[in-house]
Amino acid sequence: MSVDAPPADASFDLELTEEQALVQRTARDWARERVLPLAGEIDEQAAVPRELVAEMAKLGFMGIDVPERWGGAGLDTLSYALVLEEVNRACASTGVILASHVSLACAPLLRYGTDAQKERFLAPLARGEKLGCFALSEPASGSDAAAMRTTARRDGDAWVLSGSKNFITNGAFADLTVVFAQTDPAKRHHGIVAFVVEKGTPGFVVGKLEKKLGIRGSDTAQLHFTDVRVPDDHRLGDVGQGFGVALSTLDGGRIGIAAQSVGIARACLEDALGYATEREAFGRRIADFEAIQGKLADMATEIDAARLLVWRAASMRDRGESYGPEAAMAKLFASDVAVRAARECVQIFGGYGYLRDFPAERHYRDAKITEIYEGTSEIMQLVIAEDMLKAASGR
Amino acid sequence: MKILVCAKQSPDSTVRVKVAGDGKSVDAAQITWAISPYDEYAVEMALERKDADASTTVAVVSLGAARAKDSLRQALAMGCDEAILVSGPGADALEGLAVARALAKVALEAKPDVVLCGRQASDDDQGLVGAALAEALGWPHVATITKFAPADAGAGSVNGIDVWKEVEGGHEVWRATGPVVLTVQKSEKEPRYPSLPGIMKAKKKEIPEKDVASLGIDASLPRPEMVKMEPPPSRGGGKIMKDGDAKQTAQELARLLREEAKVL
Repeated sequence: MSVDAPPADASFDLELTEEQALVQRTARDWARERVLPLAGEIDEQAAVPRELVAEMAKLGFMGIDVPERWGGAGLDTLSYALVLEEVNRACASTGVILASHVSLACAPLLRYGTDAQKERFLAPLARGEKLGCFALSEPASGSDAAAMRTTARRDGDAWVLSGSKNFITNGAFADLTVVFAQTDPAKRHHGIVAFVVEKGTPGFVVGKLEKKLGIRGSDTAQLHFTDVRVPDDHRLGDVGQGFGVALSTLDGGRIGIAAQSVGIARACLEDALGYATEREAFGRRIADFEAIQGKLADMATEIDAARLLVWRAASMRDRGESYGPEAAMAKLFASDVAVRAARECVQIFGGYGYLRDFPAERHYRDAKITEIYEGTSEIMQLVIAEDMLKAASGR
Repeated sequence: MKILVCAKQSPDSTVRVKVAGDGKSVDAAQITWAISPYDEYAVEMALERKDADASTTVAVVSLGAARAKDSLRQALAMGCDEAILVSGPGADALEGLAVARALAKVALEAKPDVVLCGRQASDDDQGLVGAALAEALGWPHVATITKFAPADAGAGSVNGIDVWKEVEGGHEVWRATGPVVLTVQKSEKEPRYPSLPGIMKAKKKEIPEKDVASLGIDASLPRPEMVKMEPPPSRGGGKIMKDGDAKQTAQELARLLREEAKVL
């Protein structure tokens, strides 16, 4: 068979567009020059400098896939994944601030908000003037979100919210929270409603800040709602639609966490590669040992495979196709790759990998969360299997 | 004010370049290309002027291979108003004087008040094009500048352009009237990153392409030619002095620095 010319309809193309390549390069340059030098200190101090968030706003990262009409940059999901990979390659704490803001606060407002809500709530988020968060998990309900205990009671033209949320990324600093509450426990997930609650609303307070294993620079807070009055025009989507809002938001969020995982895994590989080509043992570079080469080769292969899954899910979302199971596959695989890459990174660094003076142990601690938040690996398997079984049984 | 920035695309400074098989060029595989750093300062300096006065327009021109379009797109995303690519067969092989003559044709057409060039390109370090361009245009040239602004001639009227240039231990301010070519040492701030909205705006802009052959540059003029390119010699191993007390070690170190390294 001749391979001189590709067929005219060769449409499967992994090339980035000129714009996507420029987005990737901008994010890479910025993350390498501005974020990476601070990553160790961010972890040590358990705080991302607010200036970095301000810089992300100025660059347009905070509203990357929000249309220009609503204050965003108007780029696609793939560009978002490219930016997240680069930011997380430098610092996973900074990366998750961005991912939570864009995937979990901007996205549901864009999809379910009225024009008035988009004008009022989404545009300041997309311009990066305000920070957003997403409050679904509770002390007694994580994966089983429908079992939430936070309630919303109708009172005239408003709702009264009561309850507590926890594990809320960006919770302490967010100006705006997308929060989920149950209007009728008997209806289970059909009774859930999503609301926008602004910082400073009476009865809404930030509780304890969690101390975490990794991504320590990103704040994770408890949020408490005590008879918080929220006007009905702050309701996001219809009454009873809240569970759908949450699930579809998390579908998109998983692409973000998968991209974060690829970024962390790349940090592991690049740092390990750098160390392995410098460090000597038995008179040669440890990179010259087959055992080390095997690890590096496996890491590189797995990272590329994970990235392709992320790009597939992102481009399906951009084409308007259903992408839930593909996003779950990307997250399931990429988070596993990140954890494994982090383990091998520490191993290649040897004793130094165990020390705070080197980045390996930070990657090791940062990577683990990707298997847990925005749906655990076990929930990802459930999502993937359910879809498969539905198709197999013709439902 | 109308500014024309001349920006060359050269290998990104973070890339390790290798000599190609012909022994006189750089192996293009594995290279990422970028706006040459001093030229990037020139772009930033032009945009700083635009920040200060929104009526300023900034055009950027690049002469070279077709891939230079990516760098022009980056300059547009940083905030430049328009971009011109001068390309075509042989464009990336022109030497400095021919480049300056070609850019002069572009400048005469664009009619800028100020032409900015980086003081030298990061690949050949010739530092020729800016000065030669001024000569080809018959315009004055001020070198290694750090800032420029419209000259305040009093009573709010502007007459010419004030130019700051660094000199040993201080700086000088020069005033130029009429169009001028400035070669840039450094902008006030580090070059800005293209913003994502900037990238989207840049996407919508056309980058007109001129064929270098259409500019009537006489390629038969005498020109120097590179005949050989050699990488720097690989570094020898360092020397670690383990034995002896501090005084002896210091003496030995001083001796080695003087007699072997010959740096003292």
